Amino acid sequence: MAPQEAFVDPVPLFVPCSRTSTEVNKTGSWRYLRPTYTEKTAPCGAACPAGEDIARIAMLASRGLFQEAWETILQENPFPAVCGRVCFHPCEGACNRAQLDEPIAIHQLERFLGDTALAAGTQAAVNERSAQGRKAAVVGAGPAGLAAAFFLTRLGFTCEVFEAQPEPGGLLRWGIPAYRLPKEVLQGEIKRIENRGVKILCQTPVTARTLEKIKARNDALFIAGGYGRPIRLNIPGGEMACDGLSFLAQIRSPATFAISGTAAVIGGGNTALDVARTLLRRGVEPVLVYRRRRQDMPAFAPEVDMALKEGIKIKELSAPIRIAQDPNDPESFPLNYELTLQKMKVSSTAINGRARVIPDGNKIETLRVQGVFTAIGAEGDNLGDFPPGANQKHLELSHCQMALQDLPVIWGGDLATPVKSVTHAIASGKQAAIALDTLFAEGWDAVATRLSACRIGSGPTVSMAAYLGGDRERRSARVVTFDEINADYFHPRARVTPVTLDVEQRLPSFAEIEQTLVTGAAREEATRCFNCGICNACDNCRLFCPEMAVAVENTARRINLDYCKGCGICVVECPRNAMVLEEETP
Amino acid sequence: MKQVLEGSHAVSEAVRLARVQVISAYPITPQTHIVEAISAFCADGTMDARFLCVESEHSAMAAVIAAASTGVRAFTATSSHGLAYMHELLHWAAAARLPIVMAEVNRALGPGWNIWMDQTDSLSQRDTGWIQLYCEDGQDVLDTTLMAFRLAEAVHLPVMVVLDAFYLSHTFEPVDVPRQNQVDRFLPPLVPRISLDTAHPRVLNQMAPPGVYMEMRYNIQTAMAQVPRRLTQYQKEFRAIFDRPPGDAVEAVQCEDAEVVLVTSGTISSTCRQVISDLRSRGEKIGMLKIKMFRPFPIALVRRFLGAARKVAVVDRNFSFGASGVFAQELRAALCNLDGHPPVFGYIAGLGGRDVTPDTLVEIYRRTQDCPTPPEESIWIGLNQEVVQSWYN
Amino acid sequence: MVQLDIPPNDYINPGHLGCPGCGATLAMKFALKALGEKTVVVIPASCWGVIAGPYPQSALQVPVLQMAFATAGAAASGVRAALDMKGDTATTVLSWAGDGGTFDIGFQSLSGAVERNEDCIFVCYDNEAYMNTGVQRSSSTPYGTRTTTTPGQGWKKTRKKNMVEALAAHRIPYAATASIAFPEDLICKFQKAKDLRGGSRFIHILAPCPTGWGIASDMSVKIARLAVQTNVFPLYEVQDGLKYTLNYQGGRPVQDYLQVQGRFKHLTGADCDQIQQKVDEDWELLRGKAGIYVDPAAARAREQRQCKSKARKS
Repeated sequence: MAPQEAFVDPVPLFVPCSRTSTEVNKTGSWRYLRPTYTEKTAPCGAACPAGEDIARIAMLASRGLFQEAWETILQENPFPAVCGRVCFHPCEGACNRAQLDEPIAIHQLERFLGDTALAAGTQAAVNERSAQGRKAAVVGAGPAGLAAAFFLTRLGFTCEVFEAQPEPGGLLRWGIPAYRLPKEVLQGEIKRIENRGVKILCQTPVTARTLEKIKARNDALFIAGGYGRPIRLNIPGGEMACDGLSFLAQIRSPATFAISGTAAVIGGGNTALDVARTLLRRGVEPVLVYRRRRQDMPAFAPEVDMALKEGIKIKELSAPIRIAQDPNDPESFPLNYELTLQKMKVSSTAINGRARVIPDGNKIETLRVQGVFTAIGAEGDNLGDFPPGANQKHLELSHCQMALQDLPVIWGGDLATPVKSVTHAIASGKQAAIALDTLFAEGWDAVATRLSACRIGSGPTVSMAAYLGGDRERRSARVVTFDEINADYFHPRARVTPVTLDVEQRLPSFAEIEQTLVTGAAREEATRCFNCGICNACDNCRLFCPEMAVAVENTARRINLDYCKGCGICVVECPRNAMVLEEETP
Repeated sequence: MKQVLEGSHAVSEAVRLARVQVISAYPITPQTHIVEAISAFCADGTMDARFLCVESEHSAMAAVIAAASTGVRAFTATSSHGLAYMHELLHWAAAARLPIVMAEVNRALGPGWNIWMDQTDSLSQRDTGWIQLYCEDGQDVLDTTLMAFRLAEAVHLPVMVVLDAFYLSHTFEPVDVPRQNQVDRFLPPLVPRISLDTAHPRVLNQMAPPGVYMEMRYNIQTAMAQVPRRLTQYQKEFRAIFDRPPGDAVEAVQCEDAEVVLVTSGTISSTCRQVISDLRSRGEKIGMLKIKMFRPFPIALVRRFLGAARKVAVVDRNFSFGASGVFAQELRAALCNLDGHPPVFGYIAGLGGRDVTPDTLVEIYRRTQDCPTPPEESIWIGLNQEVVQSWYN
Repeated sequence: MVQLDIPPNDYINPGHLGCPGCGATLAMKFALKALGEKTVVVIPASCWGVIAGPYPQSALQVPVLQMAFATAGAAASGVRAALDMKGDTATTVLSWAGDGGTFDIGFQSLSGAVERNEDCIFVCYDNEAYMNTGVQRSSSTPYGTRTTTTPGQGWKKTRKKNMVEALAAHRIPYAATASIAFPEDLICKFQKAKDLRGGSRFIHILAPCPTGWGIASDMSVKIARLAVQTNVFPLYEVQDGLKYTLNYQGGRPVQDYLQVQGRFKHLTGADCDQIQQKVDEDWELLRGKAGIYVDPAAARAREQRQCKSKARKS
């Protein structure tokens, strides 16, 4: 005021002018709906037989956190580099992004992460328990047995794996050609399992007699001997056909191979295709003979497509009825065979939704070939009294059979899985590990409950990460649908295309057809992922909150319920449905 | 230094000397000379100020309110319709407690269009919370304008400096224009108590619920009530610095023994001084009470000077329809609780620029003298009865 | 995923009196993120007069001058003049008016201010009716809308005033539209406006009002986005009243926008077709003004849209 001011009584000044903040109003009392961060299950993870947390893996990869992404795979699956190549990736079939443009190339991403880790030679930091003094024996060093050993070791068991063959890997080693799975990749991933302390005893076949000794030394037993015995073709001259699996095993070694011209491959599964494609690479012209239609083939569709692209002919609706040496030319080399086929037709009645085929009258076709290969399935040994009968306390799980003999025994792998695939075999090993651990910790009756508690989504897939506790255990089992994705935040973008060998380049060799993605492409592809149901810290909830009621604490977001009015914008604007709006309970 | 200035330019000079920082105005006759001169001062650098040529009086007042809220000295000028158009914001300025000074040239309101002298425009703004000071001559205009800033900034209320259209705004008179250093002593730089400040962010003029609104209004009245005492104090300072007396809130001229006291405001007061001089020389007991300060209404002074008068004749150059002249109303209200107060005669004269001559005032004096009590609430002086009667035909 | 580059600080306090889901609050939140603490806000009568807090509270961390309804343009001019006289040319003066305070009662004052090219940012946060007084129509209310003063079959039969064009006609340095559903674009425009000191900048923000529009509180951002996606509220900029830049190319049917709002639910298919026609007309007119000058971002958006529709077809 003016210095010469002579007045002692000041002029009062009471004006509508703020002196405090609106923070005194706890507007949270207006709320009748409450938003919460509730992570949900992504359809890919629910579809993955191994229950991999794909949404998170892609999120980490999109940020360039490849080691962390890889470790997230390892929580559920010790074979990323293998599965990135040979898994038939049902995850991609379930991918919500397919409804916007194309699914994420999840298998490519997995393969990239697996290969990157192999190249770096790193070990994964995964959830594990310290040794608890229990010993488990595993029969069979295929994907199921090795997975069981990996997961059992993480749960604190000491594991020995018994393998009849000179090298571990089972079907991965002997049944899958190198153009789909190079040997070094398999070796690398198996080596890593061994490095965790798993002892693999090769050329150690388990017989009924040795089994008793093994039982005596161990607290539990996991049997995953696989389908080692091929099913023979039971037709006249069937003994003249070669077994496809044995052929695939032989071809791995530089053994002599004497065939040229045309060969018939009988069967419609993956092995049949592998045999045909391997023959093609050896200069033989294969013809696939299948008794049903092409769309009925149990082989995975991408494999069928690849085979057709390479020029393999498929003779569908043709059932072999006889093999005979060519009577006109019995002395020729290579030998000539006459393969007689009964033509089939689709019957009007279906069984279990699958079209039934019946002979099409007397229509007969005769093929002149220089070799016949069969790939019509295989069966396992009934080692350890399999399948467990009513005389034993037993439990039928989704991927295993479990019995309480003088010690707990679990049969897994191809012996027990609903789908005979590598990834299902891995799932079986994981299920066995969790079942055994629960059995010892909580008893027989807890096994089914515990397994159910760590399921991913509503399917049978179980998660080791969920079993061991953590964020994933808290995730809702609700599977996110495309309608629940806020598609406004996603713009169509082409799926990554891996570098692929031309057919001309492929055929002369067993080189891998698809190449691993380069880093930039992998990261770019990972950014296409919606990250369905999980928070990727996009910050939309905080950005769009009109109440300044979303805070970030140690990278996690928290809603300040003192001020949240429950408008729900955060939930709607969450691109990936990682939040829910629930009625406020008074 | 004495200069010959028209009344409008006396305002402009005072605004320049007051170092006003933001001026915003819209043209209206007869106010325009004030802001034209200020524009020139801003343009030639005589004043370091921003002149906003806004598109309406409403905006002119909004702009000075905003400028004053930002903590600078602000001024505007208007008249008649312009003032009426500002009405909403006159309330706003007062309730926001802003020390804005506005020159208001009294002019009649239309229709019919009339640009001449009439007080109804300013008096109809009496409830807005503005201090109103009415000027008599050019010197009074300059002095009152300087005083207005001092008063406004002391009590946090806006001040309207009111001058008659043409009789004052366009009339040249010798005016003693003080030196800048004198004015600077009288009027130190503005130090706002509350203003928009990014370092101390506050919301000004926000919602005031019933729980506080009434107290805020009482607060304005409390500040208003301090005005008479402060004015007296600043008059002393003014006299000390400028070596001349500034106009009093109320000036009593020969009231002590007067049989009739004429109550006047604005330039009529000067005419009245001449009438008093003439009639007194003939032995007539006439006096005058000039009211300069209309808001706050000087109730105590009016009671002191008129409580013992025999008859009071109020000359109102304005009219409140359905009631009476506004000064008469206010005066009656001020006196009504005083025992034995004199009868108050209300005269309406000089509306819409009609001349109020010495003869008009003599007629008022005579008519008051002739009646023991007021014959009617308002006596309209100088009506052309022929015209009035013609309406009924 | 759209990667947002958003300044982290907020200048609004929680506990403000905005309704749940208030678009106008979000508009202010984003604007202040761009403008920062050296800002003085002028708010005429509007919802924001309430949101800002009753005595003695403030919802904003910057100084605010609340003013009478018609005065935003003039009041902002007065603050600017006073700040300049105090030597403070760094502080931004932000005039923050609703559609009533911009299109209707405040239009004269705004026109006067921008004609003087006042160094202020003038914002209209547009909720397309007088929401604070109970949803009465304004000259911003679009054709087809029901309000409490255009009720029943008396729904509004005249167009919404085109305010950006009116402002562009004043040839001000910068005029733009923005949406609360496109915060990055909105913030970018405010940053641009902040840096363009010395003249008038006008930003028109569509700010849905759940109560007045008959939508759920969680839908205000979604519907603001639909307005852009359907070209009902195109995002664009005009420099010096001459150079038009389209920031987004919409193309969804207007029906998508209309059918989700209570205020339009009475409209028949024919009414919607008529609205579509008007929107198309306006869009073509705008595109014509944008002429050969095409923003690269808009071109990208078009490509993406084509790619999307192709993906849908296959």
